[in-house]
Amino acid sequence: MADIYTPDWYEEVRDAMNARVATMKDPPGGELQIKVEIYGDGVSPYVAEGSERHFLVRIEEGHCAWYREVEGDDPAVKLDYRFRGSGNTFDEIAAGLEDPITAALHGTVKVRGDMRFLMRQAEHVKVLLEAYATGVQTSWPLGRPPYAATQEEAVRA
Amino acid sequence: MRDSYDAIIVGAGHNGLTLGAYLARSGLEVLVLERRHEEGGGLCTEELTLSGFLHNVHANYHTFVDLAPPVHDLDVRGHGVEYVRPEVQMASIYGDGTALTVHTDLDKTCASIARFSEEDAETFRRLYVEAHGYVDLLLSTLMYQPPMSVKELTRALATFGVEDRSEFLSVKLRRETINQFLDQHFTHPKVKAHLAFHGAVCAYTNDVPGLAIGFPLLVGKIDNWHLCIGGSHRLAHALWRDLAQHGGVMVSDADVRAILVDGNRAVGVRLADGTEVVARKLVASTVSVEQTFLEFLEPSTVPEELRGRIKNDVKHKDWTLFSVHLAMSTLPEYSAAEFDPDVNRAWVVNLGYGSLEELNADFAAARAGQLPEPKPNAAVNSLYDPTDAPPGCATGLLRQFAPFAIAGGGEGEWESLGRWYGHRCIEAWRSHAPNLTDDVILDWVPYTPLEIAQKFPNMVRGDWMMGEVSLANMLDQRPLPELGQYRTPVEALYMAGSTQHPHGFITFAPAYNALQVIAEDLGIDTWWRQV
Repeated sequence: MADIYTPDWYEEVRDAMNARVATMKDPPGGELQIKVEIYGDGVSPYVAEGSERHFLVRIEEGHCAWYREVEGDDPAVKLDYRFRGSGNTFDEIAAGLEDPITAALHGTVKVRGDMRFLMRQAEHVKVLLEAYATGVQTSWPLGRPPYAATQEEAVRA
Repeated sequence: MRDSYDAIIVGAGHNGLTLGAYLARSGLEVLVLERRHEEGGGLCTEELTLSGFLHNVHANYHTFVDLAPPVHDLDVRGHGVEYVRPEVQMASIYGDGTALTVHTDLDKTCASIARFSEEDAETFRRLYVEAHGYVDLLLSTLMYQPPMSVKELTRALATFGVEDRSEFLSVKLRRETINQFLDQHFTHPKVKAHLAFHGAVCAYTNDVPGLAIGFPLLVGKIDNWHLCIGGSHRLAHALWRDLAQHGGVMVSDADVRAILVDGNRAVGVRLADGTEVVARKLVASTVSVEQTFLEFLEPSTVPEELRGRIKNDVKHKDWTLFSVHLAMSTLPEYSAAEFDPDVNRAWVVNLGYGSLEELNADFAAARAGQLPEPKPNAAVNSLYDPTDAPPGCATGLLRQFAPFAIAGGGEGEWESLGRWYGHRCIEAWRSHAPNLTDDVILDWVPYTPLEIAQKFPNMVRGDWMMGEVSLANMLDQRPLPELGQYRTPVEALYMAGSTQHPHGFITFAPAYNALQVIAEDLGIDTWWRQV
């Protein structure tokens, strides 16, 4: 079990995504780069209030090639999608407490990019999101949403 | 004007200017041709009554400000456009002297609705919050990209399980009217009437099957109505400035009479004075499909079947608007202010529709060519724009849902009916605002459906949405399936005006979506797609 937002955790997310995509009959081709931006909201202990953590996800032939933390926007990196939301929202999604599609529908996660492609690849998108939300056993060193006060409490939670 | 350009755009309405500005910013040499004496199309502001009184002849409500990508991409504010978002956006005044007000403050709107029904106020709050959450997602999915089919959308919504995640979105809405949606979710007739009225002003007629699908989106931006300070034409100026600053050219009084075709490729246009201008890469039409395919193109260049379908199958709105523009020496003071003082600050006021049945009856009358007993809506821009009238004075705009052709006499009847019906509309306003006596109305002019069609031939039969607003005439079916993706059977000829998805109104979307298609075809760098 990897700590959230660590290289090991990203690899587990990637593997979870790819395991699910492997069950798909006809995953879409092509390459996509997705930026995930998480801003501190004063609730999540993993993203300080006023700061942001950015992640880049690369999809190749329907599979996640890599998932890594990056610094800000790199103009050389062409993005296809940008997902943006608060630390608390993304923590809750990773903890399986918040449904990522509902978060997008309700605007707590903002999605930018070619929505027509995203709608046409709904099955694939859904598989990736479900893998992110429920496919990884996550360790929460600073507490699991709703953020227990101590690590012992977090473990009990 | 030179002999040739990369792109020639027919029509300098907001869509033509928007497309031109994007292409000019992309490095193309662009020419936009306008039949009238000025750019803007429906973004038309004139001193129709007295000097110093600025009347928006057509477009008055800018509801996509900060939602439509071109507002940002083309820096319209940097080019001088100033928008104000009135605190009291809209009101309904009912026959019994009660009133409902919609504010930019959700709590105030809900408090107003609660005076009629606390249950409806709670429902409205949930609907607004839900719709406000996904309004930009829906806009980017449904409006600001070339359209998908209803089938594709339905499949995606089912895959994402949207019905299970939303109280108000449902696949069945594609078969339902706004009336049905309102009856399912709301209880009080006046609340339902106000929400239906709001939809109707946006051309989403409450009794048309399938339009319920768009209703949550309308509610999501119900408080995003903006007024363009100094008149809507300021936006046209801004778009023209952007075009010009990037090397584009707009020529007015340039009456296009023909789109020139070589082989099966559009290669230029011919003007009324015989001037021919070459289009090296594309011609885009933002006027009607009738003008484009039946007047501008030689019959031999258009497939016979398409000509027939344009003549027979292109659908236009079955009601239009009769307007009265007023110059006044005072603001209206409504009797209903005793019930809700905020009605005196409401920008747009529904004067009398208190039930869905009343709206149904008047749309049925208009479709039958009959004049409804006036229940106009009144917009007083001077409440929020101190520049649109001399100090101490105000402009007024009355709009009544009305037929284009009068039963038994046709549209020509409007020439004799305009003053008479206008007077009746003023009387209807006065019945709610008794201070609007003859002595404070300094001047007024009617603006009839016939005049709409005469002033703007692209608004066929006074159709200010340039095509019926119905599910059958939306998305990739608008205006016909073979034209639904902005391309045409004539190579290098594109449709980029309000005949296309989504529809009229100041959305910028037809031009923005045509731009995506043109960029794909010409390999233009899509600098505007900043993910």
